[in-house]
Amino acid sequence: MIKIYSTPACPYCVTLKTFLKEHNIEFEDIDVSADAKALDEMVKKSGQMGVPVTDIDGEIVVGFDKNKISRLLNISE
Amino acid sequence: MFYDLIIIGGGPAGITTGIYAARKKLNTLLITKEFGGQVSKGHEITNYPGITMTMGVELMEKFVEHLKKFDIEIKEGKNVRELNKTNKGFEVILEDREKLESKTIIIASGKNPRPLKVPGEERLVGKGVTYCSICDAPLFKEKDVAVIGGGNSGLDTALDLTKYANKIYVIEFMDKLLGDESTQEKLKASGKVELITNAATKEIKGDKLLESLVYEDKKSGEMKELKVQGVFVEIGYVPSSGFIKDLVEFNKVGEIIINPKDNSTKTPGVFAAGDVTDIFYKQIVIAAAEGAKAALSTYEYLTKIK
Repeated sequence: MIKIYSTPACPYCVTLKTFLKEHNIEFEDIDVSADAKALDEMVKKSGQMGVPVTDIDGEIVVGFDKNKISRLLNISE
Repeated sequence: MFYDLIIIGGGPAGITTGIYAARKKLNTLLITKEFGGQVSKGHEITNYPGITMTMGVELMEKFVEHLKKFDIEIKEGKNVRELNKTNKGFEVILEDREKLESKTIIIASGKNPRPLKVPGEERLVGKGVTYCSICDAPLFKEKDVAVIGGGNSGLDTALDLTKYANKIYVIEFMDKLLGDESTQEKLKASGKVELITNAATKEIKGDKLLESLVYEDKKSGEMKELKVQGVFVEIGYVPSSGFIKDLVEFNKVGEIIINPKDNSTKTPGVFAAGDVTDIFYKQIVIAAAEGAKAALSTYEYLTKIK
């Protein structure tokens, strides 16, 4: 289960989502600017007040950390 | 793989360089931490010819889409650690220690937000301290925040924040704000914004998340503390040139000195383009054009050394 906590205009979020789509990986996109509960959840999980945050089966990745995300999802380029 | 050209940077200069190099059939690698550079983090763009109005991130998506139509190798999400000269050409070492080699280099690494360099700032990045207002402003609904910098980008950030935050302090080091009067009027009219001038930010405090900001009132010398959950740093940009060392000359502000005719640097085979250079006027259309110039000059250079 992959969740991405994002905001609509954030370029890193766009890059991250494009990257996952290019590798045919499904994810749930949560707009935290429109969902206060989800924002709380994001801050609690990650200790972060910044987007994007990705939750990959409970592993939290902060920002567009391509190497870590690729490793967790077995993406090789 | 020994490339003809390695381009460092994925903003308007780097992308345009890539397009021109690919059209010249140069065997090219483009390395970037992220596409779009400063433009992606900006607000509206209304001065790019042919496009009346767009958002920075949308314009950059179009640039990237155009680039990817060509046969060019791309490494995205990578930071360059070192650039060295070798017997055969140049080597680029990435932060993950991967080594890449080429005959020529174009540096188009642009600029990064200037940090405040005060205690607590680095530790609280992503925990309330942010340099990307367009990313993070929506996270501060009904919270109190401070914007550091009273120039146009600071005031635009504050204006964007009026949609979300409860209270916004704009902190300016000088005795007056440099940003547009019209934006200042809008900020005053919002009733949410307090403008503080003659204020030197001294410390950012917080345990797990940001809790407050300490500044010195430069007139009275008094230290004051503001309870805020967010700090938006908008005090300009610095060239991303730390990895280059002595292959090029820098001016006083750390920009690469280039020959404005052909974008060459003091090292044959190393060219530079866009905001990382000492060229006047940091504009998208200028960065793109500089990238084109650098690519064409590199092509010339490669033809000569053959």
